[in-house]
Amino acid sequence: MTYHQQTVVVETADQLLQPKTRRSFLRLLATGGTAVLLPGMFAACDDDDGGPAGLGGGTGSTVTLDFSDANDVGGLNYAYALEQLEAAFYAQVVARSGAVLTADEASIMADIRNHEAIHAAFFRQVLGAGAIGALDMSRTFTSIDFASRTAVLTAARDFEDTGVAAYNGAAQYLKQGANALTAAKIVSVEARHAAVIRDMLDPSATAQASASFAPRAFDDALDVPVIVARVDDYIVQRLEAANKPEPVQIITPPDA
Amino acid sequence: MERQSYIDSVDPEIAERLVGRREAIRRGASVSGTVAAGLAMGSVPVALVALARDVFAQAPTDVRAVIEFAYTLENLEFYFYDSALNASAFAGARTQIEDDDQNGARILRALQTLRAHEEAHVAFLREAMGFLGGTPATYTAASFDFTGGNGAGSGPFAAAATQAAVLMAAAQAFEDTGVRAYKGQVASLTSNKGVLTAALQIHSVEARHAAQIRRLRQQMAPSLGVKSWIRNEESGISGLDAAGTAAVAAIYAGEGATVQGSVDVGPLAASFGGSAAAGEAFDEPLSFEQVAAIVDPFIVGGI
Repeated sequence: MTYHQQTVVVETADQLLQPKTRRSFLRLLATGGTAVLLPGMFAACDDDDGGPAGLGGGTGSTVTLDFSDANDVGGLNYAYALEQLEAAFYAQVVARSGAVLTADEASIMADIRNHEAIHAAFFRQVLGAGAIGALDMSRTFTSIDFASRTAVLTAARDFEDTGVAAYNGAAQYLKQGANALTAAKIVSVEARHAAVIRDMLDPSATAQASASFAPRAFDDALDVPVIVARVDDYIVQRLEAANKPEPVQIITPPDA
Repeated sequence: MERQSYIDSVDPEIAERLVGRREAIRRGASVSGTVAAGLAMGSVPVALVALARDVFAQAPTDVRAVIEFAYTLENLEFYFYDSALNASAFAGARTQIEDDDQNGARILRALQTLRAHEEAHVAFLREAMGFLGGTPATYTAASFDFTGGNGAGSGPFAAAATQAAVLMAAAQAFEDTGVRAYKGQVASLTSNKGVLTAALQIHSVEARHAAQIRRLRQQMAPSLGVKSWIRNEESGISGLDAAGTAAVAAIYAGEGATVQGSVDVGPLAASFGGSAAAGEAFDEPLSFEQVAAIVDPFIVGGI
């Protein structure tokens, strides 16, 4: 028996809702053909865990963050990785989202882009030869619709809240007091970003609602694996913590 | 070995029995077992007591001093927002806010949020101090002079009671001071990772507060040109008397720093907003003494 090996390209989940694509896809499943799922498809399929999504995340070479280093190279590289991600994201926002932002909002995004780029450059310089390489984010923002104000602000909110929780959770691993202070100098700026982005997203959020600029009296402090799981879909390389101590009992007090 | 010292600070048997480690990890945060159990039972006091014991039981005396200091600042903030929202003395400012069709509702929600958060911070720190021995001071609104007048009630911020713009300027001053105060204690808390982490969890919330207050001030008066981050040493606060102007200057002194450790950030920022952005990108700490000098006029009898 002979049949033509078929290839169907599915770019987004929405295409499966279109009769033509769906028919092709189903026929192909019946005949053992090849389905090519483009990034948007993964994005649509991958949001069941509430996390970010994109093709190729965490599948590349392993980038090890060694937390045993006396000079905090692992912890600083962890921050460097997150700042690289944020800087790359806001560079996209500034380049691609101007049309859906007001002038004030675009100005805020440009400021934040600057801050994140400066943070990344700062860590690169501090780390010198110990710095991890430039992470590959080239394919990984495909899940974000930069032409949608809501999508951009939602992604920005998640990046900022994640950054705050990451610094809060990892400061305990820094052996040098000066590095802990540096982390604190940066995390409050990330928290300022988070508040403003949240207010842009929902200016009428009621007090302390989950959409509020400050949803809780105590911000999260999340451990490295939790943060890595949140961001790894955006980074082609795979971040991996090594020699990280057990976290201290992190407080998540009740909300007021 | 370091990891033993803080793991020992909880009762592992109780923690393990009440809430499995896997469950704590699944929750995303490494919540202490006893704390998580308290929360799961819906018992706020149990959770508070448990977390305070977990974190603070082994804190040395200098850490206690940091907590006591933070406790005083949080009380000042709480009673300020509580008064702003409820006290008859602030009725004038409140009426102005309520009459602001454009921003009034958002301002009130922000003040309500800040009041609630500072109240939670006070309760948390009070519990923590209880575990460190001694009796935490009990403050009331009367413990503070929100005008910054050393108890005379006629300090540079007196107009906060009658003018919404001044009230918001004072709120910004308090919040930005709070951010810098917590930051100033970070290096001294590195020996106690639990307290450090708790302080940071509060610290970043204070920064959210500061950012939103700044944003609202800018929306109330776009000509201010105030950003949610601190550009150079700019506060967007003006029109105060000499003492008030000096007080505000002290709050923002050094915020424009562009050298971080051994790194001159200015050149790194050349393509990204230059030295102003380099200063914005890093918030700066204040020492205990600097913060004490700033808040002293707001505390009846001094700090």
